[in-house]
Amino acid sequence: MLFDKLMFLIKTPKATLNITATALSIFLCASLWAGDADTNGSVTWLDIEARGANQDVYFHAWGGDPQINRYIQWVADQVKQQYQITLHHVKLTDTSEAVSRVLAEKSANNDHNGQVDMVWINGDNFAAMAKHQLLTPLWAAKLPNFGLTDPDNNPAMTRDFGLPTQGMEAPWGKASLTFYYDSLVNHAPPQTLQQLSQWAQLHPGRFTYPKPPDFLGMSFLKYALIVLNHSQPEAVNNLLYQPATLQSQALLLPVLWQYLDNLHPNLWRKGQHFMSNGMALRRLMGDGELSLAFTFSAADVPAAVARFDLPDSIRSYRMQDGSLSNIHFVAIPYNAAHTDSAKLVVNFLLSAQAQAKKQQPSIWGDTSVIALSQLPTAQQAWFKAPTESHPSAQIANQASSPALSEPDPSWTKVIATQWLQRYGVM
Amino acid sequence: MMTSKSGFNTLVRSSPYIMMALLVIPVMGGLIAVVLPAFGWFPVLGQTQFSVDGFVDLWHTPGIGYMALLSVSTSFISTVLAFIITILILGSYFTSPWLSYIQRLLGPILVIPHAAAAIAIGFLITPSGMLSRLVSPWLSGWDAPPDWLYPHDAMGLSIIVGLTLKELPFLLLMALGVLAQPELGHTLRAQHRVALSLGYCPMTAFFKVVLPSLYPFLRLPILAVLAYASASVEIPLILGPNSPPTLAVAIMQWFHDVDLSLRIKASAGAIVQIILTLLLLLSWWRLEKLIKILSQTMLINGKREYAGAIMQNITHVITVVMISTIGLALIGMMLWSVAGFWHFPDVLPQQFVGLHWQSALQQMHTPLIDTVLIGVCATSLAIILTLFTLEAEQHTSKKVSRLSSVIIYLPLLIPSIAFLFGLVWLFEQINSHHSFINVVLAHLLFVLPYVFLSLSGSYRRLDPRFSAVAASLGASDAKIFWKIKLPMLLAPILIACALGLAISFSQYLPTLLAGGGRINTITTEAVSLANGGSRRTSAVYALVQMFLPALGFLLAWALTGLYQKSSLDHTNKEAHANTLN
Repeated sequence: MLFDKLMFLIKTPKATLNITATALSIFLCASLWAGDADTNGSVTWLDIEARGANQDVYFHAWGGDPQINRYIQWVADQVKQQYQITLHHVKLTDTSEAVSRVLAEKSANNDHNGQVDMVWINGDNFAAMAKHQLLTPLWAAKLPNFGLTDPDNNPAMTRDFGLPTQGMEAPWGKASLTFYYDSLVNHAPPQTLQQLSQWAQLHPGRFTYPKPPDFLGMSFLKYALIVLNHSQPEAVNNLLYQPATLQSQALLLPVLWQYLDNLHPNLWRKGQHFMSNGMALRRLMGDGELSLAFTFSAADVPAAVARFDLPDSIRSYRMQDGSLSNIHFVAIPYNAAHTDSAKLVVNFLLSAQAQAKKQQPSIWGDTSVIALSQLPTAQQAWFKAPTESHPSAQIANQASSPALSEPDPSWTKVIATQWLQRYGVM
Repeated sequence: MMTSKSGFNTLVRSSPYIMMALLVIPVMGGLIAVVLPAFGWFPVLGQTQFSVDGFVDLWHTPGIGYMALLSVSTSFISTVLAFIITILILGSYFTSPWLSYIQRLLGPILVIPHAAAAIAIGFLITPSGMLSRLVSPWLSGWDAPPDWLYPHDAMGLSIIVGLTLKELPFLLLMALGVLAQPELGHTLRAQHRVALSLGYCPMTAFFKVVLPSLYPFLRLPILAVLAYASASVEIPLILGPNSPPTLAVAIMQWFHDVDLSLRIKASAGAIVQIILTLLLLLSWWRLEKLIKILSQTMLINGKREYAGAIMQNITHVITVVMISTIGLALIGMMLWSVAGFWHFPDVLPQQFVGLHWQSALQQMHTPLIDTVLIGVCATSLAIILTLFTLEAEQHTSKKVSRLSSVIIYLPLLIPSIAFLFGLVWLFEQINSHHSFINVVLAHLLFVLPYVFLSLSGSYRRLDPRFSAVAASLGASDAKIFWKIKLPMLLAPILIACALGLAISFSQYLPTLLAGGGRINTITTEAVSLANGGSRRTSAVYALVQMFLPALGFLLAWALTGLYQKSSLDHTNKEAHANTLN
């Protein structure tokens, strides 16, 4: 009896597969048809506004920063006023949780009523979702406010870590790798990657980076990989922006491992333990265990000083040999229950009002994706930085540090896997 | 009258089956939903061929052997330590009032969620932590934090400290619960006294007379602790090494990896985790038998004294060290929650501010309400099911069968990391849009066993003569249940409620997965903030996390006291009225 039941349970997924295939083909037809309707102009923004108002939107976004959480709360208040949309911030500890959820829904044939309406995403998570067709395509460019980013002159707005976004996500903000240090303890912070190695030798145990595959840890490794290969011929360098092959790995990676072999003995805990996430660096800075750290959200540093999480003597700067820069996006899963409402929210996120608010150091300090030239002069003034901010909000070398673009996403996996093999197991 | 009576009987009779179904279906269903991908069945990735590639992948993972070894060694050593310290404390203070003081001091630790405890202990032993601040710079000469490897040491010693400190109060309270049973406790104390009068030293008397009768009651709690420790995530995540981490942590990371094909390896890992846990349980059981055989002669050799005084002194030291460790960790948390900047090596922060509490409390109310609501729902369901099941057991006048008593512990004995991911898939099939109900059901899986564990003893030991007298006077089963048994069991029921609430409050993985991230509780917020950069904010959340369950227990004690007082008053008044008549 019980055995029969078990067999039934085991058999069910086979049936599920057939249903998946059928549902998927129906969905594909339906979405193609919907796509046609859109391009024919039969669905206008006014239609979306009418259909999207008065609903709930579940925004899955990393929730580890109170400052960002407060900003999203502000957005929720605004869209409530404008569209009667109730925006719920689903706070993730890791964005891949949202990827898992959509995947689980797809495997359960939930193709129209998904729990994730919007997701804050970029890089690997985007590549993974795009690869498994988990995102709604061809909507971002149709947002009225998308034009404010001046996409014709800013190709970066439609590429995520080198991959074309194909309208699957809309840009939300910009970030660059920024270093910070305690100016009372550390008088001459290193200005280049090579200086960093020498500095670590002089100050053993006072620097570290998060363990791959953590986002910030990977960013440090990518920065190192790019800078260490600067002297290579341009053709070799360009391989970084193409999918990694065994040949390109053999050309580009050895300098990185050599550098790390040299650096690790001088790291915090002698490189035998790496913190699992980027925020931990800030905590170790506050504890005085580190005297140099780095972040992708520079505005976090003065905010942490204001909350007493970092000493008053903290200062920020960019490395002179370059800073890794990228754009982060918001996407709508293919099965979102409230697609139209989500589009309204994303369009609001791209408005001059929302972007200017987000750029204020006291609010979030995330660099706007709007091209100011697209705005009337009165609105451009909203983006001016206030003068009375903490000294750590002024970033030294900001203008002179060349922006380094993200390598092809395939490199992330290559670096992380080989790193774990080399340094992940003692 | 007739309908309500038969209605009660039907309800009672079906309860054990409902309870079993509620425990078995989610666990087994979840397991099947993990076994399939482990053997390569993962339609979303286009994998529809059964294979063992997941296991091959797992086998080739760098450091996989070390991961498994770390899981096994930390859980086994910590359980052994917690057990030994428990019986040392019981033995040393068996006849002394200190036992209840220690119980009162350690009781609150039981309700501290694992994540909060790990954060507190981490702060204590970290290079910039309280211990190092207390000796710096006057003794150690450290002006900056030293670069040592605790926590996160490769041997897992920090994990062992964390797990031992968390497991010990549970075992101790379980043991004290057994001793508090009127009949058994009375008998054991009497036997202990007899042994003392025969010239046995108190410690030896405890080991030879009390322990052999006490241990069978502790077996399942110990096995539950062992199983939990072998697959727990929070403590190894916060205190453990990550090069490599324990197997359970690695499995969770693979499940959450953006590379979706890692799910297959993760599922295979979950199967290996179950096997490891079962092997651990099995070896504990064999070891128990071995010790029983070896100690047989010792029990009856008539020797009165085995260095009892030394053992007692060692116990004193252990107890003091433990309680001061916990105290220091708690003080550290409280200081962090109100600290302005706190420069190393200062023992106290430069200034105290209310900012962290203020901003945390502003954002806390929705999760706080959800936490309490989920806890109350899951606990009420668990209490009702447990009471009816126990009542059914008395109707049929046979104990819940051996098989079903194991089933009750199923969610505690099978690593949750192994079946929860499958369970979420099951929820998706059934009702993906009722996150709240899903979370309550997921919590029920973990609340139910503890509530049953805590209530069954008192219920089974209720003197049957009360019911017999009532029945002879013509009272129905329902009336006996509501009017006689429940009032007499009020104190254990309230304590079980408080325990159930505490268990529900501390659930992290079930809340996160079953709620799809839509339901935030204080615990999920605390863990996601512990991931963040602020010790101060996480201290606030951890303290709230501790305060909530403590409130439950305080309420339980206060209500019991109030009820006893009022019923005493009532009896006194009646007696008074009778004398007047």
